[in-house]
Parts: sequence; C-alpha cells; structure tokens
Amino acid sequence: MADESPGRPRISRRDLLKTAGAAGAAALIPGAAAAEEASVAGTTAAALPPATVAPSGPLMNLTAREAEILSAMVDRLIPSDDMGPGALEAGALRFIDRMLSEAEADSVSAYRSGLAALDHYSRYSRGAPFVELSGRDKDSVLIDVQLGGATGAGAGFQGSSGSFFNMVKSHTWQGTFGDPSYGGNVNFIGWDILGYPGVRMRVSAEDQRLMEAGQLPPARRSAYEYGQFQMSGEED
Amino acid sequence: MCRASRPAGRCLGCALLIVATASALQAQTPTTFIVDSPTMATGEMMPRDYSPDGRNVSPPLTWRGLPAGTRQLAVICQDHGAGNPPPWVHWIIYNIPGSASGLPEGIPFDSSDPMPAGLAGAAQGNNGWGLSMYRGPAPPGESLHHYHFAVFALDTELDLPPGLTRAELFEAIEGHVIGQGDMTPHYRRHPATDDRTP
Repeated sequence: MADESPGRPRISRRDLLKTAGAAGAAALIPGAAAAEEASVAGTTAAALPPATVAPSGPLMNLTAREAEILSAMVDRLIPSDDMGPGALEAGALRFIDRMLSEAEADSVSAYRSGLAALDHYSRYSRGAPFVELSGRDKDSVLIDVQLGGATGAGAGFQGSSGSFFNMVKSHTWQGTFGDPSYGGNVNFIGWDILGYPGVRMRVSAEDQRLMEAGQLPPARRSAYEYGQFQMSGEED
Repeated sequence: MCRASRPAGRCLGCALLIVATASALQAQTPTTFIVDSPTMATGEMMPRDYSPDGRNVSPPLTWRGLPAGTRQLAVICQDHGAGNPPPWVHWIIYNIPGSASGLPEGIPFDSSDPMPAGLAGAAQGNNGWGLSMYRGPAPPGESLHHYHFAVFALDTELDLPPGLTRAELFEAIEGHVIGQGDMTPHYRRHPATDDRTP
C-alpha cells in the first residue's frame, strides 16, 4: 500500500495541526513586548495539573439534542487519540455555546438550522442519525457537508452546507487553540496539541536553544495574565 | 489519391506513406478494452450510494481484455459537463497492479486505511476539491450529468506519489498508455420525495 512505502511517511491530522497552527499561535506574542516580564521563564509543565475533560455545566444556548450533534461533529474535527485529548476535552463545545450569547449571537439561528440539517442529511444519505454513525461515516458525512454535497434536493441544507461546516470549524479552532481567557483551550490542551510553548514576554538564548530542541517547558499562562494586555471592554 | 497519369513510382510512394501514417497512428492509439461494473452501466443512472445522496463510496469497476504487456492501470472519473475549465474530476487512482481485474466498491477515503487485497501500492490523486479520495456526483438542481470512468492500461510500473492532479497524472503516464477502456453512467440528484428520512 502506498502509505506504507518507504520514503512516504504518514502525516496525522495532529501533525498537520501542529504545522499549521504553530505559526498562528506564535502570532499571539507581541514583538514589542518582548523585553518585558520574564516571570514565566521558570514555569515548568511538571508543576501544572494534568489535562482533564472540560468541566460541564448548563448549556446557555444550545438544546441538549443540538449539543449532542455538535459534540459529535467537534469530536471528529479534532478528535482525541492515542497522542492526547482533542477539541471536546479542550472545551470547544462549551466555548461555542457560550459564544452564541456573546460575540457570535447572530449565529444562533445558523447553528440551529445547520445542526438540524446535518442530522437530516445523515439520515437521508446514511440512514441513521449523525451521532449514531461510525467515526469513518461521520467523517464521510462531514466531507460532503464541507464540499457542499449536502445542499439541496432534500439533502437537508437549504443554503450552502459548506458555509455551515466552515463556521463550526472556525469556532472549534477558536475554542481549542484560542487564549484560555475566552473559555476554551481548557488546561492549555490546544496549545499542547500544537506544541506551542506559550505566551512569553522575553525569550532568552537558553529558551531559544531549548525550544529548538523541543525541550522548552510550556508557559501555561493566558496573555491576559500579563499586565499590558486587556480584553475588550476592560480598559482603564 | 494517385491519378493514373502519374508515374507508378510516385503512386507507390504515396501508398507507402499512407501505410506508414496508418501504422504510426495505430501505435499512438491505445487498444480498447472492456470496462464494466456489477452496479453501473453506460447510459444508466448511477446508484445513489455513489453520490452524496447516499454513502458516497467509490463504485466497483471491472475490466477485461487488457492488452498484452499491461503492467499497471490508472483510473479517472470526470464530468465533462462541469468545471472551469472542464472536466471536473471526481476521482483519480493509479499505481494499480496490472494483475488487478478491477476495483471493489468503497476504496478507502482515509489514507491511513489499507487498500483492499490485490491493490497494494495503489494511490489516489487529487480530485477537483483537492482531496485524494472519491467524491461522487452532485449535479446542481435536477440536471443530468455524465460521469466518464476512464481506465488506462500502462506498459510500465510507475511508483507515483499520492495526490497527483489529473494533469500531473497525464504527464506521468505519457508514452506508457497501451490501452484504454471507458464507461459513462449518469446521475441526477434524487428529489426530496425520495428522502430516506423516516
């Protein structure tokens, strides 16, 4: 088989996320602030609590059924695997639910109709509710949704199914890899997936050496724990 | 055509030229062989399971009468009525061993899943969506589109990497195609009345 041929190493979805996400996450570090605050340099991973499942709580916007479908979708976008936890454990579902009454309040109807359409399409094309499909079949359904194949002819989506997919994917990414202050990336799970060493205000030569060797302990701090950053609406 | 008034030698030269041209054309024209499927036929509707109206798995194909010397095969499924420019590519698979008599239904869309028995080394190229997998027809509205499954017999064993585009595959197999077979079923999306939803 081609994937087992010498010289053709397999690249996992997690590897791709690391490659694609490291640059984006690194952009969180403001270059102008690099000379300030060195207090995190001594933080070690060993002193931090192990990654755990995101805490549960009441859903603020989604119904239980909607959350069940969205949970199954988010779990396929960034699944947990033998290398570690995924988007669900990082709290992406709760992040999205909370966000729907805040910055993305206008997206509530898109989520309601989209999740219903996703389930309808799953029954229509695969003969079973989305949450009951195997992982492979869920992936196949989501590929069709992403490519627009779930649109029209009674398939379920009245508008572009690809738009719905991209919306959920974008929010899942935000809830997994964004700053924990926004409610996702619980226990810095997302940053660990990417291998992102964390927000640092100063990087010493030794830090640089350790980072290049993949041995730099992550600085598990939100950017907003540094004095010079403020969330919107928290101005002095 | 040679006129009777022209010298006989010139007529002979003309005939030889025609024979030579015909031979050259024959050498450039691949042998035709039979491509079939247990579930599809040219001019008939594809089952919905080969589209996003169903499971969207790749259809089974069989072939027979391959030209002598076939070492490897490649398959393309394309819609000449879509794409800008056409065709829109739905599927590309190559490095298929010459000993294979067809492809079973449901070639894995996840590259981490093994290829079926007898297809060791086969790899999938990039379709029109840029994905190395089969994705079936979803023609707009209730329009009817035709899906051309082209199978190419090659006189050599290539070790092509996954993810080739149609153009890259054609470039790679240039000069190695000794046979070609085709089938062209069609598809129209099933209306809402055909909904499986309980």
